Amino acid sequence: MNFCDFVGHDDGKLALILNAIDPRCGGVLFAGERGSGKSTLARLFRDLLPDGLPFVEVPLNVTEESLLGVIDMEETIRRGKKILQPGILGRSDSGVIHVDNINLLPPSVVSLIFETQDRGIHIVEREGFAVSRRVRFITVATMDPEGGAFSHHFLDRFGMSVLWRATPTREERMEIAQKAASFPAGKHAGDRGQLEKLGLRIVKSRQLLDKVSVSPVIESYIVNRCIAMESEGHRGELFLLYGARAYAAFCSAEAVTEEHVEHVLPLVLGHRARLGEEMEEDRARNKQEGDREAPHEQREHGGHEESHGDEPSDENLNHGEETSPGGENQAPREMREREPSRREQVFETGATFEVRRIILGKDRIKRAVSGRRTKTVSQGKSGRYVRSRYGRNNRDIAIDATLRAAAPFQRMRGRNEGEAIIIRPEDLRFKERERKMGHLVLFLVDGSGSMGARRRMTETKGAIQSLLLDCYQKRDKVSMIVFRRDRAEVVLPPTSSFERAAKRLREIPVGGKTPLSAGLIEAYKLVKQMKMQRPNTRCLVVLVTDGKANQGLTGSPINEELAKISVLLAGITTTDYIVVDTEDKQNLMKMDLAPQLACQLRATYYLLPDLRSEYLTGMVQKAKNPVSHHLHAIDAPFRL
Amino acid sequence: MIFPFSAIVGQDEMKLGLLLNVIDPGIGGLLIMGEKGTGKSTAVRALTELLPEIDVVAGCPFGCDPEGYLCSTCRDSLEKDGELNREKRKMKVVELPLGITEDRLVGTLDIEHALKKGEKRFEPGLLASANRNFLYVDEVNLLEDHIVDLLLDSAAMGVNTVEREGISFTHPARFILVGTMNPEEGELRPQLLDRFGLCVRVTSLRDQDSRVEILRRRISFDTNPDGFLGDWQEQQDRLCRSVMDGRKRLGGIDTPEAALARIVSITTQLSLDGHRADIVILKAARALTALRGEQAIGQEEIREAAMLSLAHRQKRMPFEEIGSEMVKVEQVLSELSP
Repeated sequence: MNFCDFVGHDDGKLALILNAIDPRCGGVLFAGERGSGKSTLARLFRDLLPDGLPFVEVPLNVTEESLLGVIDMEETIRRGKKILQPGILGRSDSGVIHVDNINLLPPSVVSLIFETQDRGIHIVEREGFAVSRRVRFITVATMDPEGGAFSHHFLDRFGMSVLWRATPTREERMEIAQKAASFPAGKHAGDRGQLEKLGLRIVKSRQLLDKVSVSPVIESYIVNRCIAMESEGHRGELFLLYGARAYAAFCSAEAVTEEHVEHVLPLVLGHRARLGEEMEEDRARNKQEGDREAPHEQREHGGHEESHGDEPSDENLNHGEETSPGGENQAPREMREREPSRREQVFETGATFEVRRIILGKDRIKRAVSGRRTKTVSQGKSGRYVRSRYGRNNRDIAIDATLRAAAPFQRMRGRNEGEAIIIRPEDLRFKERERKMGHLVLFLVDGSGSMGARRRMTETKGAIQSLLLDCYQKRDKVSMIVFRRDRAEVVLPPTSSFERAAKRLREIPVGGKTPLSAGLIEAYKLVKQMKMQRPNTRCLVVLVTDGKANQGLTGSPINEELAKISVLLAGITTTDYIVVDTEDKQNLMKMDLAPQLACQLRATYYLLPDLRSEYLTGMVQKAKNPVSHHLHAIDAPFRL
Repeated sequence: MIFPFSAIVGQDEMKLGLLLNVIDPGIGGLLIMGEKGTGKSTAVRALTELLPEIDVVAGCPFGCDPEGYLCSTCRDSLEKDGELNREKRKMKVVELPLGITEDRLVGTLDIEHALKKGEKRFEPGLLASANRNFLYVDEVNLLEDHIVDLLLDSAAMGVNTVEREGISFTHPARFILVGTMNPEEGELRPQLLDRFGLCVRVTSLRDQDSRVEILRRRISFDTNPDGFLGDWQEQQDRLCRSVMDGRKRLGGIDTPEAALARIVSITTQLSLDGHRADIVILKAARALTALRGEQAIGQEEIREAAMLSLAHRQKRMPFEEIGSEMVKVEQVLSELSP
């Protein structure tokens, strides 16, 4: 299959074509569900590149070493001279770097890629090397938003992005299936003619590029569009201009027009502008609806962009302009939280207090860290090479350090110039690696109507804020899920920004039913994701609820459902649970459901006021609380 | 090809913060906090062109100051010959990449020398090249902890001491730390925060004209860098001259008693601990006075210096809105105004 055989996703193709015409377009990110063909198309980008240019894949298990390059052991020992084996970045000059599932890579790796791209210079400062050389590449990446959050900061580095919908039209589906069936795997069939035509057109566009003029009117137009879309930073307008220019060249136009700008605008601002996400979603929805209404429309695929059935309609774009900042339609995230409803209330965050140590007891976690870390070091070659050590019996040899240890003795040992280096066992040095132990504290907050009684939520928010403060001091990452009405929602993806956490906390509204099962499931998914991204992460789930679940997921009795999910959750390794019961125990109608849940989750149980630090010393008071006492007794060796 | 400093639109605080550090390196660096895509890195890299020449010991890999603290080698040769050869060298911006390893930061055994000669010799690391220069860390909050520890260590001592692989070596490592970070990506350790003399926040410009201008300049630089640099040469030269003049005038700036009193009353009213804030404000105000060609530190200079020096020294509750800490500073400053 070649680029032109790929069915549908014309935006994605256009983005790639524009980058092939002008690499200054800043790369492309495809975001969408698994199995929607993102990576397939990304790999087909190769078809648009001049022959012989590198197309380098970044695997998920990439390390800084493989990215930056390592000492070439064989050559170095043989020639007695430090030889660098270039890494991925070093091999990518004037080509393409393809990163699949970029949101699953460690942030340090992602920032290395962007740092290098930004600077146009590849710098290696490690293992005794100090090398820098010019390197230019285009980054083409994919991500599945389900897999985990991706920082906005990184998103901004991409010139263009395309939001993929896995649901193609009926016609597309049929065509895809047909094509897939007619190409035996691995066989390079298909219509080369069309691809060659496209290739020629790209070459021609590249030559035209410098001749395409950009009038001051268009420059202002671009900037105004970015301002109207609330695009953050100044990269938006730059990429928009380059994109529009490349598109104009592709259309053989002499000057960039407003139409050219509008055509590439969704690609450039979709991921950047505060109003972009909304626009993208609207656009995708309209497209789907349009497709459904006009199934007879002949879709031509193969890079003839003029034949788009999904020109951004004026309606959408005007919608973007009309939305004033600070108006009702804020960024979608905020919007979802502020769903207008008469029965909803947003309570203030109550007074904070010092949290009892027991909760995130420093020493408990520390013990766990060192314990795990030792295990990790002896285990294998993952993690960051921090320093070298003498005499540790594993196979992870630090070549640089070993050579340094052997080097001074070479003459003594009788090595002649040009011969291999003589290494004795006592020279061996081993890598000490460090894997970052992440701590994630996930707040799972009940936002149902029952939490609103007697301003219970104000006090609860105060307590959560206090816990947040505690996490901040201990440098944990935090995340927050709120469940209310009919669903649970991650209102704060894992972050170390406590400003954002506090803001999200303030904004939590209260109202509606209690979908506790949905909340627990969402927590399960998030913890699992986190474990996949960073297997060493230690999670602490803090469930804040009165336990009065009344909205199920499956239709089976809610307590059965909860029991099943609890088993699932309790089964995740290195994850601890705390249940903070917010039920008013003075109330005669109290149901004491949260303690049950705590038992099922094998969680530590606290009443809201128990969280205060003065209670730590008041053992008597704790003993007076039968439920809490009972649970502590069960969990005593594990917890305390 | 580097985008010229003088062609950067707006972001006056950031530019001023950098220039003051060129005039008086004793200010202790600059932390630039801000949104993505606001030209933080562009500005720091552009600084290179404005940097002055300094006296160094000829041939010394650490660029030792002939009048100051010397490395082991320079000390030996001073003892032997009684004097040191000098040469002029331009200050530079040394970049610290995020993926750096410990051995490249502090230096290690020179392996090729050891192989060839069978002798142990020190191979300088990045701290060596950073001595008496700007050390630039992009996304400083993403730096690994063990690297931060090493940085803090030598920043505090002004000296890099290496004891590894049978090598013992000491050399001066005084650098002007310039970092950028996006506060949304996580916080900075307080010890590291405190190492930065000044701190500015940058946001994207909101007005249309400036944004069009940014776009225009960037495009014309990208398409024809030589032409662009030519167009800006005169402006760039003028800026260079005023910075050099500022450096020369720095020693002769008067510090009236009233100015000192004013600085101290600012810091006491804000109940800041320690004396670092006072010293930084004074130095920054003095550098600013020199840059502007004035003779004595005035109120305006103190005000601006305080704004640059206090953003990161305020005690801010972790959950207060970013920027809220400056409200109090502004309040104190306006109350002090006659």
